Amino acid sequence: MNRILTFSSRNLKEILRDPLSYIFCLGFPLVMLVIMTIINDSIPAEANMVIFRIDNLSGGIAVFGLSFLMLFTTLSVSKDRSGSFLTRLYASPMTSADFIAGYILPSLLLSVLQSAITFAASLIINAIVGGEMSVVGSLLAVIVLIPGAVFFISAGLLFGSLFNEKAAPGLCSVIISLSALLGGIWFDCEGTGGVLFDVCNAMPFFHCVKAARMAVAMQFDGIGIHLLITIAYTVVFTLLSIVVFRSKMKADLS
Amino acid sequence: MLTCLSTPTAGEAYICGHSTAKESKEVKALVGISTQDTAVAENLTVKENLQLIAGIFGFSKEKTAQRIDDMKSLFHLDDVMNSRAKTLSGGWKRKVSIAMALISEPKVLFLDEPTLGLDVLARRELWNAVNSLKGKITIILTTHYMEEAEQLSDRIAIMVGGKVRAVGTLAELEEQSGEKGLENTFVKIAGQAGGAEE
Repeated sequence: MNRILTFSSRNLKEILRDPLSYIFCLGFPLVMLVIMTIINDSIPAEANMVIFRIDNLSGGIAVFGLSFLMLFTTLSVSKDRSGSFLTRLYASPMTSADFIAGYILPSLLLSVLQSAITFAASLIINAIVGGEMSVVGSLLAVIVLIPGAVFFISAGLLFGSLFNEKAAPGLCSVIISLSALLGGIWFDCEGTGGVLFDVCNAMPFFHCVKAARMAVAMQFDGIGIHLLITIAYTVVFTLLSIVVFRSKMKADLS
Repeated sequence: MLTCLSTPTAGEAYICGHSTAKESKEVKALVGISTQDTAVAENLTVKENLQLIAGIFGFSKEKTAQRIDDMKSLFHLDDVMNSRAKTLSGGWKRKVSIAMALISEPKVLFLDEPTLGLDVLARRELWNAVNSLKGKITIILTTHYMEEAEQLSDRIAIMVGGKVRAVGTLAELEEQSGEKGLENTFVKIAGQAGGAEE
């Protein structure tokens, strides 16, 4: 446990000392929150478009923020693999379980903080625009988003293990764009229906966003299926990332 | 293979009586390595880098503090303790890298071309540090610099094509080759082995 905490602490410092972490993981989602609220204010009520209303927007933006943690987890892993630093640690008593937990834990801690800050900002906006968000619903949404956070972090570990530090961030950017699009953050994919909705429904992003929105609204009827699908994807991606990291660790050593 | 970074295809090697193939956990607790590229966490300070390795080896807070003080005085790190590794020069990084390898109190220290790319002053300073460790731990140092091998080694192994062609003290190797000085000795033995590479 000591090794995990030591390595986690190092990885946490590495992320926190990179200014880009603040820009992408906090600044960008918060700016989007404000911009979309302004856009929402400009949409006439007759349009009956609620996707950018703060109670809907907060859950989506929180998931959007989590997708950037995938990028930073990927960067941590792929950068470490490209240099000699991991070689030194491979020759130490660190086990593959220590490495995996050491990469996941700090990102998970940051994800909870990030979600909490996003919802706190949303509550402030909610108070300004006179919305219907509640503190309890927001706290529940932070908890409900944990499986989704683990999913993104595992995906980051997977891509960081599979690809080098030049290719991995590019791939993450594609996934970030896909998650925003197919998660129904920027448009009502349920209302759109058809094949597009089928694709969204098959992906974890939509269910992650939906569960967060339902938690914010404190509508628990039907939230279970969205959580279950998110958890299923999380379990698969976590196991996959563990297997791939271990096999890459062996390959790096041979 | 000796540091358990790769698995032998045949044969066995032992570090302090522990098989590198079968007892990697025990071996890893006994060895320290400093790779050719400086293996430091760039965004951590020198002190944090040392704390990281001490933590991984399970040292208590008191022992970590004591070992950091030891490394600080051995490598004269006082001025850079709170500097981030990425801001250090190549020479300082190399010293920090070796200090990280030593902080865990290894019985065997592996140094892979420790002075590669360093200026004369930085190289001399590292040589002094390595020399001060002699008699305390076993150091296995790989180098392409004959002068370095002559200065630092009690016993020298000459490798050509991945095989040890000769091993012994400098005097023994000179006697074996009939040449004077390590460079001439090396060239003779390498030539006899049919290789141009160390």
